[in-house]
Amino acid sequence: MLLQTLITGLSIGGVYALMAVGYSLVFSILNFSNFAHGTIIMLGAYIGYFLVSHIKLGFYFSFLGAILGAALLALINVKLAYDPLIKRKAPPLYLMITAMGVSIFLENMVYVTVGSHFYSYPEIFKKSSINILGSEIGVLDFFALIFSFVAIYLLHLYLTKTKIGTAIRAASYDMTAASLYGVNMSKLIGIVFLLAGCFAGLAGVFMGMKYMVYPTMGWITNKAYIAAVIGGLGSLPGAVIGGVILGVLETFVSVYISSVIRDVFSFTLVIVFLIIMPAGLLGKYLEEKV
Amino acid sequence: MKISRKISILLIAIILLLIFTSACSSNTSTSSQNNQSKESDFIKIGHLVALTGDASMWGQSEKNALEMEVEKINKSGGINGKQIKIIAYDTRADAVEAVNAAKRLVEQDKVIAIIGPAQSGVSNAISSVTEQAKIPFIATTATNPLVTVPKEGQVRKYAFRVCFIDPFQGRVAAQFAYTKLNAKKAAILYDVGSDYSSWLAKYFEDSFKEIGGDIVAKEAFRSGELDYRAMLGKIKQANPEVIFIPTAQKEAALAAKQARDLGIKATFLGGDNWGSPDLVTLGGSAVEGAYFVNLTAIEDPDIQGFIKEYKEKFNQDPVLPNPVMAIDALYMLIDAIKRAGSLDGMALAEAMEKTKDLKVLTGNLTIDPATHNPLNKPAIIQQVKDGKFIYVEKYVTH
Repeated sequence: MLLQTLITGLSIGGVYALMAVGYSLVFSILNFSNFAHGTIIMLGAYIGYFLVSHIKLGFYFSFLGAILGAALLALINVKLAYDPLIKRKAPPLYLMITAMGVSIFLENMVYVTVGSHFYSYPEIFKKSSINILGSEIGVLDFFALIFSFVAIYLLHLYLTKTKIGTAIRAASYDMTAASLYGVNMSKLIGIVFLLAGCFAGLAGVFMGMKYMVYPTMGWITNKAYIAAVIGGLGSLPGAVIGGVILGVLETFVSVYISSVIRDVFSFTLVIVFLIIMPAGLLGKYLEEKV
Repeated sequence: MKISRKISILLIAIILLLIFTSACSSNTSTSSQNNQSKESDFIKIGHLVALTGDASMWGQSEKNALEMEVEKINKSGGINGKQIKIIAYDTRADAVEAVNAAKRLVEQDKVIAIIGPAQSGVSNAISSVTEQAKIPFIATTATNPLVTVPKEGQVRKYAFRVCFIDPFQGRVAAQFAYTKLNAKKAAILYDVGSDYSSWLAKYFEDSFKEIGGDIVAKEAFRSGELDYRAMLGKIKQANPEVIFIPTAQKEAALAAKQARDLGIKATFLGGDNWGSPDLVTLGGSAVEGAYFVNLTAIEDPDIQGFIKEYKEKFNQDPVLPNPVMAIDALYMLIDAIKRAGSLDGMALAEAMEKTKDLKVLTGNLTIDPATHNPLNKPAIIQQVKDGKFIYVEKYVTH
């Protein structure tokens, strides 16, 4: 039972981590909570679904299509909604409110155009599970968990080994100083959103495959926000750790205390963290940057 | 200068609008007066039905079926020499819309009774209007006990229904699991945020224990939950033979999927809220072999005549169970009109209370005067097989 709970928690935490990474990436540069991230995840799930079941592109191409589509949408989002504000040096609060607006707008666009129907991905992995020491893990969960960590590791490599990655990390410490050293901020922000969009597409397809596809599925990014706060806002390893901790904790609460108070527990946890450790486990104390 | 010109344009526009609307309303009032003189030969029956929104799939089919049946009755001479006229309003399955529509039916259209609504919450809401106006309504698929007998325990004089209620449904599921599936150990997974789900879970639990079964796990989740694996992990440990999931089809489909992922082999069992094709599209192979209790099914031998007629007229299958239940309600009303010898609401309600062994589409209808619920209403058990719903048997509890 203990091992089964742990495995279930890890596979839930893997998806939280994927969502939290995209979230933290934006926060680390622009110092605002991008509430539209959940909506991009939802759109990624829709793109993947329509490619795989209507255009019949095959699973791997649909997967790629969802990632690229979500990345493109994230880029359009930043160019149309955030760039004009950033150029006017608006405080992060304004960006956050805009993000909420974008999120509501996109959600309602989906209601109007696609409808409120629930969709389900075709069964790509047949109903089979892998037995690990007497505990079962679904093939899809196993795959999602591995893939999440590989993707997060690749991002880590990109951020530490490439020139653009170094620029992103520099900007996350001090945007003004980085731009003084010749970093093109507008381009950098675009790249950060593209990366966050890729992760949103990835998370969207996993969410769609594990659960289903519907207009309000983006609400689950609340959990990504909690994960990011626990791990430390703006810290990428923190986002991963926060996601996994949250997934495992929630599952343990559901199993050993009560599934009904699970969310009460999660939100209490975030309040406790904000009071005692506002910078989270790995975060740095941030000041206004934009 | 500019502002005053704008204001004058605005004023003219308002005046034009007023003239136009008053012209329109005077038009409608004269036409309705004309109609009224003709309409005295009609028996006017209201129909509250969800024609748009989430439940419209059932509602539109219900409207078609009712119109088809009324046309047939009118062709063969009507009731007591009068023709029936159905006045249908869309409720969108929304309580506020339904209350407004119910007011219109009793105050403006002066109907003698109302058929519908289909949803328990909506039925509860309109009862305030119907009790006051002394106009009976017959709910079609509202299974919550409170529709006819509210919490105070006194039956609503003008509220009736033709479907079974949730305590009965829970008992059918429990007895079917125990006697037909031979299950001695059952688990329950239910939605703590839904009245339908938590009460049905309780009724199942009580009945299953009463006949000697064992409830080995009872797990709850909150509405909107997506991941049930923590609760299913606990259920798996208890090793039940059946898992009763009294939720809507989408939660049931997701939970079934995740249960199979965890290697749970138990049979799934559900209530009438499962009866939507979404169960199979969302649940896929995980819901294969699952059973659920329903009000009626397309293969029910008793309704084949109706299905054939409907198919011939509308070129498609009716979306069950609502059309069948609405026709049952119509028969119940016509029977009451004939016995009461009057079109007065109070006389009709009194006659309806005494409905006994009336032949309707789904069997014989007897109304319990104490609760206004049908007595011994059979339930249909359906199973998911090869991605389709199949009829298993008609079931009456012992």
